Amino acid sequence: MRRVDGELVLLWTLPAVGLIWLSAFLLFPGFVQPMSPAMSAEEVVAFYRDPANLPRIRYSMIVFNWFAVGLIPILALIALQIRRMGHRTPIFSYAILACAAGGPTIFLMANLFWLTAAFRPERDPQQTLMFNDLAWVTFSSQVGFLIAQSVILALAIYLDRRERPVFPPWVAHFNLVVALLLIPAAFVGIALEGPIAWNGLLSFWVRNIAIGLWIVVMGVVLGQAIKRQQAEDGAMTT
Amino acid sequence: MSATTTGAVPAMPSGSLMRRIAWHCRYDEKRELWIGWWTLVAFYNLYGLLFFVLARTQPPPQPSLGPAEIVQWFDDRRSGLLYGYAIVSIVGGATAIMTATLAYTMRRMSVSRAFAYSYLLIYALATLPGMLIMGVACTVGAMRPDRDHALVSWLYDFAFLSFEGTMGVFLVGSLIWMAAVLLDKNRVFPMWFGYLNLCNALTEVVVAPAWIFRRGVFAWDGAIAWWINMAVFVTYTTVFLTLLRGMIVREDFGSGPLPELASDRAPASAGTLGAAR
Repeated sequence: MRRVDGELVLLWTLPAVGLIWLSAFLLFPGFVQPMSPAMSAEEVVAFYRDPANLPRIRYSMIVFNWFAVGLIPILALIALQIRRMGHRTPIFSYAILACAAGGPTIFLMANLFWLTAAFRPERDPQQTLMFNDLAWVTFSSQVGFLIAQSVILALAIYLDRRERPVFPPWVAHFNLVVALLLIPAAFVGIALEGPIAWNGLLSFWVRNIAIGLWIVVMGVVLGQAIKRQQAEDGAMTT
Repeated sequence: MSATTTGAVPAMPSGSLMRRIAWHCRYDEKRELWIGWWTLVAFYNLYGLLFFVLARTQPPPQPSLGPAEIVQWFDDRRSGLLYGYAIVSIVGGATAIMTATLAYTMRRMSVSRAFAYSYLLIYALATLPGMLIMGVACTVGAMRPDRDHALVSWLYDFAFLSFEGTMGVFLVGSLIWMAAVLLDKNRVFPMWFGYLNLCNALTEVVVAPAWIFRRGVFAWDGAIAWWINMAVFVTYTTVFLTLLRGMIVREDFGSGPLPELASDRAPASAGTLGAAR
């Protein structure tokens, strides 16, 4: 039988990583009052040169650099739960693992652009503006793997042929709603103001709250699924 | 391993297309594979449309353009770049299910699972140089018409060099698929497809001079670095989509050699349930 020892330890890294992310999010001065893409190059440079901002930019992004990959163990646990489902092939669990490899790499790229902008605040304003744009566009628009992992998980749940499904159907519906809420953020490039801009209602608030909610909900249902699995495995061995 | 429900499966209806699709979604044993195959077909068509028609970044422009011409290039297709690459970022994750389906072909072969896993991870990362970095660079280049010309020129180089020049992932990925096909005893794919993988891998080698030349056949828009590469890639993709379709039709979810087409016309019997895992 497959060993499940340690899966709960991995799962409990989620609240810890979640708290660290939330702290880093609140520490970065560009998130609490999201920076507007309509800022001029001079205003963006002033943001990075401000002695009250610079250490907070660096420290928050260093923490994100450490923990950018923190969601990978959770995606690995989700992949294992998908393996338990009544499917004929491992395609869905493979696909979740592919998302786990691609998604954090994108977050790391955004992080590198922010840290590069902050490394030499005395840089030419046009250059700082470009690094800031690269960071925000990478961070906001690259929702493809997040959408894919929600859609793949939903499909896997809908196609689960077990009599007692691994995840209840509402988890699949929830994942599809999250995927829909992430779509507008892909269009950040088209507007410097309004709900689609990277500081706007849809691209910033709806997107990031949807991701936060996904992490909380999936953490809980994953914990329940692992508990059920342990109970089933225990019943089989005794 | 998993408890599947083995209820009575009604016969496939012969009525409307929608009813047949609904039947396949509910009862088809191979529905996961067909989802993967249709995603591949839909994605490659959309990918062509987005890059060639909407964003118009393919065929690629000349690497030898000056900063003012590059700014003009962005001006000419601003909305196409912004909307085109927004759609690319939405659907880009579909590559995960595509790669997973192709990795499954290796899992069905008689070779180690290491081949499937390597292919899966390599192609998961390949989406970055394959389209996402270019999307970010083009979006940033297009979003501010008043950006400094020298920086727009850097974004242009970054976009096309990452897209045309970063080929290691496709090189090693194709070689892994090649090795798996050549070693396989389950006859998942014909032997010649192994050598076609080698052709695809070699085109990734010959684009390397795109990092050095700004004009001529080896430049990123040149006859060798782009046109031959694209011709081989389109042939390769069409071939593997056709072969994959045949493989899915032949799939019996066993672990031995895949049956030939003719002997697999009958629908999968309930007796094969549970044998796959």
